[in-house]
Amino acid sequence: MAIDLGAVEAQLSTAFPGAVVEREGDWLVLDRDRLPSIATYLRDEMGFDFLTHVSASDYADHLDVVYNVYSTRPELQGPGLSFKVRVPDRVDARVPTVTTIWKSANFQEREVWDMFGIHFDGHPDLRRILLWEGFEGHPLRKDWHEPYYEEDNKPFGSRWPYPENPRPRSAEQRVHWRANVQYPQGFDPEDWDLGADYPPLFAPKVEINGIDTEPVYLNVGPHHPSTHGVFRMVVGLQGETVTNLTPVVGHLHRNHEKIGERNLWNGNIPYTDRLDYISPMYNEFAYVVAVERMLGKEVPERAEYLRVIMGELARVVNHLLTIGFQFNELGAMMTPMIYAFTEREHVLDLFEEASGARMMHNYYRIGGVYGDVSDEWLARCRKVVSRLDRKIDEFETLLTDNEIFISRSRGVGAMSWQEMVNYGVTGPVLRSAGLSYDIRRVEPYSIYESFDFEVPTYETGDVYDRYRQRIAEARQSIKILKQALNRIPATGAIMDGKNAWNVKVPDGELYSRVEHPKGELGFYLVSDGGTNPYRYHVRSECLINLAALEAMSVGHLLADAIVILGSIDITLGEVDR
Amino acid sequence: MDWVADFWIPLIKAVVVVLVLLLGGAYMTWGERKICARFQVRYGPNRAGPFGILQPLADAVKAIFKEEIVPNHVDKIIYVMAPGISFAAVLITFAVIPFGPEVDLFGQRVGLWVGDIEVGLLFLLAIAALGSYGIVLGGWSSNNKYSLLGALRAAAQMISYELILGISLLAVVLLAGSLNLREIVDFQGTWPLLVLQPLGFLIFLIAILAESNRSPFDLPETENELVSGFMTEYGGIKFALYFIAEYTAMVVNSAIVVTIFLGGWKWPALISDLHPLAGVGLFLAKVLFVLFLYVWIRASIPRVRFDKFMRFSWKFMLPLAFVNLLATAAVVAFL
Repeated sequence: MAIDLGAVEAQLSTAFPGAVVEREGDWLVLDRDRLPSIATYLRDEMGFDFLTHVSASDYADHLDVVYNVYSTRPELQGPGLSFKVRVPDRVDARVPTVTTIWKSANFQEREVWDMFGIHFDGHPDLRRILLWEGFEGHPLRKDWHEPYYEEDNKPFGSRWPYPENPRPRSAEQRVHWRANVQYPQGFDPEDWDLGADYPPLFAPKVEINGIDTEPVYLNVGPHHPSTHGVFRMVVGLQGETVTNLTPVVGHLHRNHEKIGERNLWNGNIPYTDRLDYISPMYNEFAYVVAVERMLGKEVPERAEYLRVIMGELARVVNHLLTIGFQFNELGAMMTPMIYAFTEREHVLDLFEEASGARMMHNYYRIGGVYGDVSDEWLARCRKVVSRLDRKIDEFETLLTDNEIFISRSRGVGAMSWQEMVNYGVTGPVLRSAGLSYDIRRVEPYSIYESFDFEVPTYETGDVYDRYRQRIAEARQSIKILKQALNRIPATGAIMDGKNAWNVKVPDGELYSRVEHPKGELGFYLVSDGGTNPYRYHVRSECLINLAALEAMSVGHLLADAIVILGSIDITLGEVDR
Repeated sequence: MDWVADFWIPLIKAVVVVLVLLLGGAYMTWGERKICARFQVRYGPNRAGPFGILQPLADAVKAIFKEEIVPNHVDKIIYVMAPGISFAAVLITFAVIPFGPEVDLFGQRVGLWVGDIEVGLLFLLAIAALGSYGIVLGGWSSNNKYSLLGALRAAAQMISYELILGISLLAVVLLAGSLNLREIVDFQGTWPLLVLQPLGFLIFLIAILAESNRSPFDLPETENELVSGFMTEYGGIKFALYFIAEYTAMVVNSAIVVTIFLGGWKWPALISDLHPLAGVGLFLAKVLFVLFLYVWIRASIPRVRFDKFMRFSWKFMLPLAFVNLLATAAVVAFL
């Protein structure tokens, strides 16, 4: 099932003669200079209102910026349109921004600028997003070599810019791993200036009611109990009301994608575990589905069932944990959270028995799964599933009608689904606002087509609806799990052929997405036929959902902003990659 | 001057009360962790001694031996003083609370209270209000935005809840006809005031939860928004002082609830048959029950948002307290 590319091409060519420069496999190469008007046409006339993925790839003589757009119209939901623009000039790489058309491009274009040095003309806030402001170079370009790890000569040189001053001046400088931090030339922490590209996040003066004053800026994070890790948001406050909010991410950045390019195709599977460490199973699911699509590989039926069972268990656990964290942020002194963790333990026991690890499972394989499970395991799994079913009821009894919870979450962070789509918000948050958009239904992968489940939706998209949405989705996952456990073939292969230690993926590029518990997790993979990816990009739903945080929070209290952040459900391992 | 009656007995009583309070505050932290743990299906502290009974001591030792850090940007004098203010206020509050009847001990006639003053209730309210200075000054002197927001919340919260506290107590004063806590306890010889003042009791309980910054009204320190609120910049023994002040305040506040509404050391039907010292045990049991209530609430429900909390206070609690007061006054006047 794929989109009718010829029809799209014809329609675009009629509206904009010469707009389609080239057709490259499943991708259309569009005219770079007319991109904004073509994009507007795509959104308004052709219904592609949902830009979920923007990325780039470096091909030595040119750079490609790739876009994946989808439609939320019921009749057009399903496979979307993949197009790219070509940037021939590597030195002064420029592409017009589409942030004004799809706000979801905001963070992703910043990331492309950060990693590839492609300047997006007209972007409102083109700053580095994951790397620090003084970083030199753009690390995902193929001509950029990572110091220390990719140096030609060993022993590796130091990156401290003052080789003439080797004597350590303080304890911080005496540690040897400072050699792995890169500083710009002439860097001195004392008088280093970010420059005009980086205006301060704290506006120095404002005028309120005719009085010149300084607004209160609160630096929430990166060390804060409720930012789910090292997330930082700079919150402007008027009293306790949020007037503006700037998310600052990248504290946990480890250049996942660069390392992914160095890994073998197989070697990336355990590495995806480290993305969203709350539900690692589903990250692997997303990655192997992407690679299998490139390989055209079939997966044995029993393995497919095992994948779905593991994935849906991960989803139930993720939703319960999210609700638990949510209540922790509401000040419920950890009780619901620990109840959620109790349930997680039972599921982790199952995962441990199947994969050998409680957290970084490394269970999925390209073409199958790592190990078979026994009948006993399946029996225990059935027990755990019925237990989870019961426990969801208990959660509801405990939480759903809590007066304080309702008064704190009703109307907080509400947003229409149209706006959420524009911000690129996906997953339970989007569905809680009323749009029935679940990739398991609109673009089915694995064997989800064969299961009977509904896509629940709610109306307002506020924190309370997000909570109810997660409960409802966990129930649907239980439904899927019950069917899968009843229908799983008693025996059968769990790998397509032999478990290959090394996979070669044919030439090509593809963007593949799945319905991760937190939203749309996509992998953009480019292969040059080799044993490792030429380009490996993670479309992180956590990062892109964060783009809507400011719009959801402004006008609410600081306490609400924290709760909204929690209800978006981020994992910093995936936000920062 | 009678040295034994006027000097030694009050001194010994004061020392014993302070020690018991300190121990009670310390063990309240242990008790809360234990009870919360049971609510949350886990064990709680169980490494230091049997049932983790030595945990508070281990914590205290740790806090004492921590480095004394005073950040550069704070107002040093007030910063160091503030935890002391909180702590002292809590200890002084207990002075007027009677925890038993007058008994014969070692050949002396001893009243089981530290101070028996005619305006005990007023004293109680005055000193309890002083405690909030510790919080406000601590938050202000820390020169940190989280602390400042916490202190602002504390100030607003104190003002609104002191008022409700006072008004709900006025109804009690109308009934008992005295401000002396000992006489209020004596008044409850037949029935605890809880029976006569159910609404007043509820209002008082909510107000005292807010007064002692306890969940669901722990807004000045809201970990999830303000990191630690007013005590963000505190560490080591200064933090421990705040901490123990908070838990001792819980003990003292429970004692106040017990004294005023639950009949203090008295039990309606049994009082004549009991040994006077058994009254102390009864008092303790009641205090423990109220403390359990505190922990129960904390483990069960989420926090109220600050603005809703203030609205609740001024638009609902205050009128309710007034209605209760007027109704009581009418009953006292016309019946």
